[in-house]
Amino acid sequence: MSRELHIVGFKVGRETYGVPITSLHEIVRVPEITAVPDAPDYLEGVINLRGKIVSVMDLRKRFGEEEAALNRQNRILVVEHGGRLAGLIVDSASEVLKIPSDAVEPPPAVFQDGGLNCVTGLGKVGGRLVVLLDISKLLAPGSLQQVKSEASEKKPAAKPEARGAAAR
Amino acid sequence: MTDSPDERGAELRDLFFETSQELLQALNEEALKLEKTPGDEEIVRVIRRTVHTLKGDAAACGLRELSELAHQFEDALSLEGAATQAAVAEIAFAAADVFVEMIAAYRSGGKLPSTRSLSKKINDLTAVPAAAKARRTKKTVGKAPAAKTSAARASAKAAALWTEYEKLAMTKAQAAGLAVYHVVVKIDPHCAMPIAGRQLIYNALGGVGQVLAVRPDAKSPAATKQVEFVLATAQTVEQIAAKGRIPTISEEVTVEMMFAPSPAPKQPAEETGFTPETAAEDLLEVEASVVPPLPIAAPGLDPAGTHAVQENILRVEAGRIDNVLNLVGELIIGKSMLQQALIEFSKRYPKELLRSKFADAIAFQARVLNDLQRSVMKIRMVPVEQLFRRFPRMVRDVSRQCGRQVELVVSGHDTDLDKGILDAIGEPLTHLVRNAVSHGIETPEERRKSGKSPQGTIRLNAYHHGNQVVVEVSDDGHGIDAQKIRAKAIELGMTTPEEASRLTEAETLDFIFRPGFSTAEQVTEVSGRGVGMDVVQSVLHRLKASISVETHPGKGTTFRLKLPLTLAIIKALLFWVEQRLYAIPLNAVMEISRTFESEVHQVDNYEVLQLRNQVLPLLRLGRPVPDGDARRSKLFVLVIMVGERKYGLLVDALEGEEELVIKALDDQTFVTDLVSGASILGDGRVVLILNLPAVVEHVARWRPQQTGQSNSGLLLTPMDRVRLALSTNAGGQA
Repeated sequence: MSRELHIVGFKVGRETYGVPITSLHEIVRVPEITAVPDAPDYLEGVINLRGKIVSVMDLRKRFGEEEAALNRQNRILVVEHGGRLAGLIVDSASEVLKIPSDAVEPPPAVFQDGGLNCVTGLGKVGGRLVVLLDISKLLAPGSLQQVKSEASEKKPAAKPEARGAAAR
Repeated sequence: MTDSPDERGAELRDLFFETSQELLQALNEEALKLEKTPGDEEIVRVIRRTVHTLKGDAAACGLRELSELAHQFEDALSLEGAATQAAVAEIAFAAADVFVEMIAAYRSGGKLPSTRSLSKKINDLTAVPAAAKARRTKKTVGKAPAAKTSAARASAKAAALWTEYEKLAMTKAQAAGLAVYHVVVKIDPHCAMPIAGRQLIYNALGGVGQVLAVRPDAKSPAATKQVEFVLATAQTVEQIAAKGRIPTISEEVTVEMMFAPSPAPKQPAEETGFTPETAAEDLLEVEASVVPPLPIAAPGLDPAGTHAVQENILRVEAGRIDNVLNLVGELIIGKSMLQQALIEFSKRYPKELLRSKFADAIAFQARVLNDLQRSVMKIRMVPVEQLFRRFPRMVRDVSRQCGRQVELVVSGHDTDLDKGILDAIGEPLTHLVRNAVSHGIETPEERRKSGKSPQGTIRLNAYHHGNQVVVEVSDDGHGIDAQKIRAKAIELGMTTPEEASRLTEAETLDFIFRPGFSTAEQVTEVSGRGVGMDVVQSVLHRLKASISVETHPGKGTTFRLKLPLTLAIIKALLFWVEQRLYAIPLNAVMEISRTFESEVHQVDNYEVLQLRNQVLPLLRLGRPVPDGDARRSKLFVLVIMVGERKYGLLVDALEGEEELVIKALDDQTFVTDLVSGASILGDGRVVLILNLPAVVEHVARWRPQQTGQSNSGLLLTPMDRVRLALSTNAGGQA
């Protein structure tokens, strides 16, 4: 007897990702986002979710997608983790998937080496692959720092130097 | 209510733990006074009363060890001659410490600390007067024995049931001319809250006389069935029984006389230290110490204790008030939503008569809301005295440790401050005071050499200043040597010699707050200040408070903490930078002015503005100056005050003034300190509140890499920078 995992599937770029439905708070259209200074670029800013301030991360930038402008399909998945809410910008939120737990394979070791340790497994649904994500690892402050430093290594025009570049 | 006896008892205990803090604080204070005026009998009496209350409360909560120790101490103090001994203050300090430890142990359920050394000290105290007393007893032969034999009889009779000190209390009460009764109250088995009932009976009997002992303990299972008291009173059996009979609580009351009053007190009153007057006084205290729990512990349940509801103070958990405050915050957002709607409405229907009705209603609601907000804030306000109280003892201890003579002068202790802020500044303030004693004040010899009195003075002061509260710690010691700090900063690579030579004194002193500056051991020896000053600074940052230091070599140093009145709601000025809305606290804004780009000058890579006759360092939050053509464009400058210094903020446009409810940003996601919080406006927009000290610091820390760079663009996002770089490149190519 195999248990079924209930997964909310969403698209970022061409891939389908999934998070457990229990960690989802709601899905909203993208409202006006207030940018926060001095933050890495995949942290879009904060939004007003009915009187609560919720920080929003652009998963597309987080996963290294080419920068895409926001359009009407974009959604924010508001997820709950450790009592706090966080928003994830995705290209589109499609469906609720039921995946038998034996159709989930552990993530290849490459992912862990590649710093993508927020992947918990790969699920197969009707011939498609769904990348299952661990919200807590995605949002853990440590992982953010790490990505931040990687990002600034990649783009030397990030922090103080950027000011110089801008001044020129 | 489903309180089980255990929970009930636990609640009483919690209350005791809370109130005992005040008692212990009072004990410390009186001991300090006594140390200054040794032998003052009045003070010793106050100490004795404090210890007595502590004893009574502890016994009521079933904390036997504590109440016995307190009793022993109280006893020693009531002996004649004890007061004149110099050691009393010392023992009082030791006792306070041991009591604190014991209470902590009860609280955590840990092991009780050893009380032996304190017991020994107390015994030493009693030894001397006891010898004196023995001599005197011989002189008054013929009178004392009568009391002694009755006491012996009493103790034999009660031996099985009552402890040593309870028996002693009975003997004393008897000697004071009171009858001692044994009261047994059976608690009604249908009573919903037997432990609360037990407390009620206790209170009721406390009204007729002095309760000397209670059995069984509140926590023992038998406590729900019946309760026994030993009561010393001048009233009759009937009166006692009537008091003990509380409908629905007590089922049956038996009163039995244990000892008749001794016919007229034979012993001279001062020898026992227990006259009817003092008994009456104690009785009041028992009442006072037992009553406070009731109004909240058992609201609406109190048929008999009506006499007890004179106490008008409620102890409320801080969390509940915070809830109310949060709701008020939501209401304020609601208020600005309504105002926004009204503006739109009036635009759309300018001739509609309903408009003025709406406006009136909104104005009325706004007024009430203001009052509501102020009242709720006031609940959270507590006098700084609560914090200041701990310092006399600390100053005494620290000054002894480091061989200084220090007098602490406290003023402005009735200044009110938000409880949250008060709790948060406890540690930094302790740090500053400790530093002032150990580093600020010189040794007595040094002071004499420089012509000062050997005793140094440390002043703690608090006062309101506009929308802020200022707390000052000042000493009259040797001050801080700016030269040494300068040298050290250069040595640590925090600045260059050229730069250092241009720094003002205030700027130089700011180094002591930099992380890394103070941690090095030799710094404290050289400059004499600074361990953990950066910790002080970081706490204050979190509170949106600022600290400044003023020092006069040879005359002393003053640290000034400027604290916001409250953490939750601020008046703010809103402005635009790069099409984004930001806010800063209005009380930091000194003036708003318009100027031209041509008034901005470059001085060593820093932009400064000449405004009338002063030169302001400029912080350009948005994009840097476009070259050439825009030289004549107009600018908005907000002149802000951070610490003791003024800066100019260049912004794109102003939005207005608004009351903001501060909401925290998710600090696990955003690591920036530039923003201290966010707020939601009436139309649902989110506005970020800038943390000015951090903004200023960012700019101050910024070091130009090459000439021509300027410190602008603090609030630009990476995206803005990319776009800006593209556009300037494109411009260059065109």
